Amino acid sequence: MAPGAVSAFGHPGATDMDYSRPDLADRLAADYVAGTLRGPARRRFEALLPAHANLRAAVQAWQEQLMPLTASIPPVQPPPEVWQRIEARLDARAARGRPSTPAAAAAAPQASWWAQLAFWRGLSAFATVAAVGLGLLLAVPEPSRAPVIVVLNAAAAGDAPGVPASIIASISGDGRALVTRPLLNVNVEADRALELWAVPPAGAPRSLGLISAAGATVVRRDQILDGTAALAVSLEPRGGSPTGAPTGPILYVGKLTL
Amino acid sequence: MTLAAQDWTERSRDLARLLARTGLGDRAAFATLYDRTSAHLFAVVLRINRDRGQAEDILQEVYVKVWRAAQTFDAAQSQPLTWLTSIARNRAIDSLRRQQTQPQILSFAATASGDGDAPDERDFHDTVADDAAGPMELLSQASEARALSKCMQVLNPQQRQCVALAFYDGLSHAEVAEQLHQPLGTVKSWVRRGLLALKGCLQSAVVRDAQLDVQRDAQAGQT
Repeated sequence: MAPGAVSAFGHPGATDMDYSRPDLADRLAADYVAGTLRGPARRRFEALLPAHANLRAAVQAWQEQLMPLTASIPPVQPPPEVWQRIEARLDARAARGRPSTPAAAAAAPQASWWAQLAFWRGLSAFATVAAVGLGLLLAVPEPSRAPVIVVLNAAAAGDAPGVPASIIASISGDGRALVTRPLLNVNVEADRALELWAVPPAGAPRSLGLISAAGATVVRRDQILDGTAALAVSLEPRGGSPTGAPTGPILYVGKLTL
Repeated sequence: MTLAAQDWTERSRDLARLLARTGLGDRAAFATLYDRTSAHLFAVVLRINRDRGQAEDILQEVYVKVWRAAQTFDAAQSQPLTWLTSIARNRAIDSLRRQQTQPQILSFAATASGDGDAPDERDFHDTVADDAAGPMELLSQASEARALSKCMQVLNPQQRQCVALAFYDGLSHAEVAEQLHQPLGTVKSWVRRGLLALKGCLQSAVVRDAQLDVQRDAQAGQT
């Protein structure tokens, strides 16, 4: 131990100390965590922490050792007003839409604070609704995934002459919306319609509804992607397949490769 | 009722989850975190700053800071309860900075003297229950909880008292010296020696607990 070290640090003129010395770092950290480092010395030490990793490590080590000793202090329940005041502070910050400065909060006189209690309560309700709304917004596309683009090429069948190249289907990342668009207009007779199907790896295709032969169609379904191995478009009677399964020729097929 | 080191760690596991959600702006998680930890932090703060009104203000500051800083909490680096308690202690110690010479420490030393009509003293009795444990008791309870009592015998009672007064009640070196009627230099070296002994005992306790765990696992493996 070098008793001179701490007293030198405690002296306001001491600025040329070598904080990389492990014994000094440990001694200062111990005093800081125990609470015996006080006044300007404590403030100086705190100011040094961001730039000195070894000091931070020493503080951390002492905290991990000493803090569990506070477990023997019998708990004391704080009055409910403390939580109410914390909530009001957070609501005020949220309502202002920018971080409040502690100085501004401290400067607010006590009386006007309580006078505005109703106002805060109102804001609090608003903030909760806003938070719930935001939560929903954030929750929906959960892990935000990229949209899936499927190219439905003309099926090889060839029994539908004049069918142009392909239909593009884009599916939103969350699998709830799909947009189809033929690259070229498809000539479909007036009494016929194009129907889109979600094809599972095994089992019956699921109808996703009729799509336009000339332009974009938006399809909204829950979980378009779940259990879907391919998309297919069949030629059906006007109004769609009467049986719930494709009845006409399959004009386009596109596999999903996820 | 004391918390053993295992309880501290186990409670921390739950709290790490709450703290992570708080960091994402989850107010419900923050409220739960407050419910689970505020009584401990309030008690920690109250021991250091015995003015109840100020202690409440400090607790408020602590949790506003926790709300803001939760994102920076790193569960790989620190236990949540350790992190939270450190914030509370720092705020409490900083609050003493402004009023280091205020009489709450003196009234602490003078509780036995008769004049109970002094407003300061009445406040003091309001805030600290008569059966509140003294810092020495807290230290010995904490030592027992971690089976450190024997190890701590390397320190004499006065040295232990120095550490206990400084750590639990937030007394400065000078205040400890005044209370124990000892020279400042002596107190400084006692606190230093006490902290080092405490750290040594705590570290050997960790090693011992780990060895016990290994033995227990080995026995469990045999049966």
